[in-house]
Amino acid sequence: MKSIFKKIVQFHLKLLTKITLWRHRPFIIAVAGSTNKTTTKDYILKFLREKYGEKEVRGNPKSYNTEIGLPLAILYLDSGESSALRWLKILVQAKMRALFGRKFPKKLVLELGVEEKGDMKPLLEMVRPNAVIVTNIEGSYTYANSSLDNVFGELKLLVQQLPKDGYLFLNCDDGRVKELKNFTKAKVTTFGFSEEAEARAENLRTDAQGQTFDFIFQEKQESVRIKKYGRTNIYAWMAAKVVKSFL
Amino acid sequence: MSSINLSPIKEMELRASRIPGVVSLAQGVPSFDTPDAIKNAAIEAIEKGKVAKYSLAPGTLEFRETIAQHLERENKFFDFETEIIATAGSIEAITATLLAILGPGDEVLIPDPTYTSYQAAIKVARGVPVFVPLSEEKHWALDIQEFEKLITPRTKAFLFCNPNNPTGTMFKRNQLHALAQLAIKHNLYILSDEVYKDFIFNGEGKLYSLAELRGIRDRLVYIFSFSKAYAMTGWRIAYLATHQDLAKKILAVHDALVTCAPVVSQFAAQAALEMADEDVETFKNYFQKRRDLTCKRLDKMNHVFEYQKPDSAYFVFPRIKREIIQKIAPGGGSWQFAIELLEKAKVATVPGSAFGPRGENHIRMCFGRSEKDINLAFDRLEKFFGKNFS
Repeated sequence: MKSIFKKIVQFHLKLLTKITLWRHRPFIIAVAGSTNKTTTKDYILKFLREKYGEKEVRGNPKSYNTEIGLPLAILYLDSGESSALRWLKILVQAKMRALFGRKFPKKLVLELGVEEKGDMKPLLEMVRPNAVIVTNIEGSYTYANSSLDNVFGELKLLVQQLPKDGYLFLNCDDGRVKELKNFTKAKVTTFGFSEEAEARAENLRTDAQGQTFDFIFQEKQESVRIKKYGRTNIYAWMAAKVVKSFL
Repeated sequence: MSSINLSPIKEMELRASRIPGVVSLAQGVPSFDTPDAIKNAAIEAIEKGKVAKYSLAPGTLEFRETIAQHLERENKFFDFETEIIATAGSIEAITATLLAILGPGDEVLIPDPTYTSYQAAIKVARGVPVFVPLSEEKHWALDIQEFEKLITPRTKAFLFCNPNNPTGTMFKRNQLHALAQLAIKHNLYILSDEVYKDFIFNGEGKLYSLAELRGIRDRLVYIFSFSKAYAMTGWRIAYLATHQDLAKKILAVHDALVTCAPVVSQFAAQAALEMADEDVETFKNYFQKRRDLTCKRLDKMNHVFEYQKPDSAYFVFPRIKREIIQKIAPGGGSWQFAIELLEKAKVATVPGSAFGPRGENHIRMCFGRSEKDINLAFDRLEKFFGKNFS
């Protein structure tokens, strides 16, 4: 019973999401990968809002990024969790927004959550991104993990659908992610710490106030300080900076 | 190694379980079940085949990333890849840390009174627990001057929980800053166990944590357990966050002890952080009502107990009046007093002496239990003391 209800909700949300996107035709920036999606999305939102204004750019609230979460992100609705009544209310709201909503941001920054084979197809049936950022492909288990190859396969589907005038931003320090450049028609830009990265971080230092590094891109260098710790935050910052420079 | 006995809390629970009809205010277990959203996430992870194998030693990347994002919202910044470790309960986090930093005979300062299992964890790590007396009349505050006097060349760390168990009181920002300065001056680690941080009552606001103080991040180990905030005591899941250099040392011990935290519990706890904020708020509101009820009932027994009103957690730590303890348990102290309450009034509590020398002549009562249980326990206590003192 629960799964039939879930399928009905999913079907309607998907349909209403497609109607919404067809009506408003926003520029869609997708952030995909195993981890670091939320931080990357947050930095992209910050930088693009600085450039275009608060109302023109929207991202997934609460990292909604799955088959049921993504429509909620696009329609800007909360999850009904395990309450059937709340889900029914959400469907009514979704219908109103899809059919009659007038205001919609020009740019959407969406996380796409992919863990297994088959996860990407239903997401791509709803959204066709114009730009894609791939953060990493990493595993959480200690054994050799074929699921990482499955994730690679799913991300391949994502980058293959990018149009010729689209953008693909890749973390080139991740061997699997780097390979994705061979499967797209879009313009590819890489970021990372390695020498081959087009947008590169160097001279990373950590202190009590956070991290500092030099960011080198398009023959320019700038010194950057961020208050968060860990290389993942630097990857996220770099990805967002590169996205801002192109969009 | 000095001998380690079963925790007096568990000892009382065991004794209580052998007596039919006992109401227990002993063990600090919330009366609630784990929220549905958390259980459903665990079931989904099981059904998708994600939990049968070891995770990475520090935990799944997704769980640690969620923890780091959650901590950021509390003004605490840690790198999820290198500075956060998922552990099998907070006691494993504490024990692994102590094993990583202590040599045989090293001293660890702990508040007096404080959580009973800290002493055992220090002894497991071949250390020596040293009590720092808290001042009951100052709402169980830390005496910083007294604290500094107890520091010796063998002192390696200060281990405490904030809010404090068993007193239900909080260490304030100025005390914590003074503590941080001493830690820097004497090169000490600080282990801050903040398991009750989500249960702060009466508009006291958010708990201030030393993990927000960047200047000591290389000597601070922040510990949080999901057991109490999310009613997950049986899932055995917690985490620690600390500077990457120390995290590396602790990780080696953690790997040797448990390999990784239970993977199903990691998925459950991740869902807790993502979806259970409202449940935590609901639990807090219940505990505040129960705290008020417990204090009201204690006020009616002011001929037996006097107490500092708890402003957090779910414990109250009343002092037993001298004439009462002398009559009920002559020469036997709080241990004998608690046994008398258990056997004659059928109410289980924990003797204050279990929490340190300053806990003597007190008992700990947990108001994590239902209002029905709290009322029943106090009805019995009133009857018991009425009979003995009429």
